[in-house]
Amino acid sequence: MSAESSASSIFPRTDWAELDRAGEADEARLDRLIRTYWAPLRIFLVAAFPSLKDQSEVLLQEFAEDKILKKGWLQRADRNRGKFRDFLKTSLRNFVLDRLNRAETRHPPVPLEELAREPAAAEAPSEEFDLTWARTVLEQTLRRMESDCKDPAADQPRRSYIWEMFRLRLLDPIFEETEPPPYEQLVARFELRSPTDASNLLLSAKRIFKMHLGRVIKEYAEQDAATTAEIQALEEFLGRLARRG
Amino acid sequence: MSEFDSAGSVFQRQPKSLAALLQASGEGVRLWRPEELAAIFRHQMSAPVLVDLGGYDPGTAARLKRLSDAQSLLLKSFSDLFHHPAPPLELLELTKDFAKANMDHAQSSLPGEVAAALYYTSIAAALVRLGARITRLPDAELRRGLLWTSDQVWLDAETKQLLLQGAAKFAPGGPQEPPAP
Repeated sequence: MSAESSASSIFPRTDWAELDRAGEADEARLDRLIRTYWAPLRIFLVAAFPSLKDQSEVLLQEFAEDKILKKGWLQRADRNRGKFRDFLKTSLRNFVLDRLNRAETRHPPVPLEELAREPAAAEAPSEEFDLTWARTVLEQTLRRMESDCKDPAADQPRRSYIWEMFRLRLLDPIFEETEPPPYEQLVARFELRSPTDASNLLLSAKRIFKMHLGRVIKEYAEQDAATTAEIQALEEFLGRLARRG
Repeated sequence: MSEFDSAGSVFQRQPKSLAALLQASGEGVRLWRPEELAAIFRHQMSAPVLVDLGGYDPGTAARLKRLSDAQSLLLKSFSDLFHHPAPPLELLELTKDFAKANMDHAQSSLPGEVAAALYYTSIAAALVRLGARITRLPDAELRRGLLWTSDQVWLDAETKQLLLQGAAKFAPGGPQEPPAP
């Protein structure tokens, strides 16, 4: 991993103490780790080794079983050698190369020049990996928020309105490029008693979104300071891509 | 209710949309669009006084209820309060404080313009209806604020008139009657 790509990568402060704990065979934590990194790793694998697209799922399964779930493997992530995501990418690349080399030994016709080319491409999809990671984080955040707001066991009778308000005022206008419904329509729809009532609903929606975003990130960043830094890094990364267009 | 999978659609969105989502969910971002101010102010004026001011501490809330009850204002609106011939001074002061708190707070529930309108209207109502001054703002500054508020295009005619009547009390050369609407 070059210094430049490290500097431009997001999530610069992986919490190594947390990973040490993950390395202690905490199954739930490992499961979460794998599920969270699955999509970014698949994107990375296919981008780095296009010819292996059809086998990517199988290779990832094997990678998870042979490496991530193997006792002591996570502890090998040397905190002096780069970020955890870089460690994952390098490990996956080496794992795939190893598999390809073995296949070559067994089946000589595998084109060597292709193998030689492919590792060089491993740096290129780094941004794509980070973007997929960012999308995974946001997808989990939104899913949890929706489920939380629609939880019938929740105390607040109007809690489901919070998700609807968030969707109508923020999500749909941004994702679907729709016009947000006029204020008066919201008042009727959500039986709002005053503008403060309306604003409180919207502010609650934002707070719940941020709370779940923080929780999703904290599951791997663990400490509050690291979580704040990760959210900031996420905003900067997406902002940078957005400005580039 | 939409069955659209908003969360799942994240994977189809460009970084620009994802960045916009994060930005919009941040603090200090305007909750409402400027063109919504008229509807918001109308709603504020028709909102029950107790709904907004009832958020104060229990003692104040009880006092508020007593005041409202005494003046037959229970569950009546801010509009009723401002246009009452003899509104309770304490209620106007509470309304002014509520508006001020919203003006000064970055995470306010009310748009700044609407909070300012509520603030100056409660002062104007005290001046015009009761001849009482509930602010320590210097005359010139108070007049400027009353006139600025009365000039807002989204304000209703009745409230504008009240604000102009309040401002007229500080007109250079002594109190003057504002022009009829």
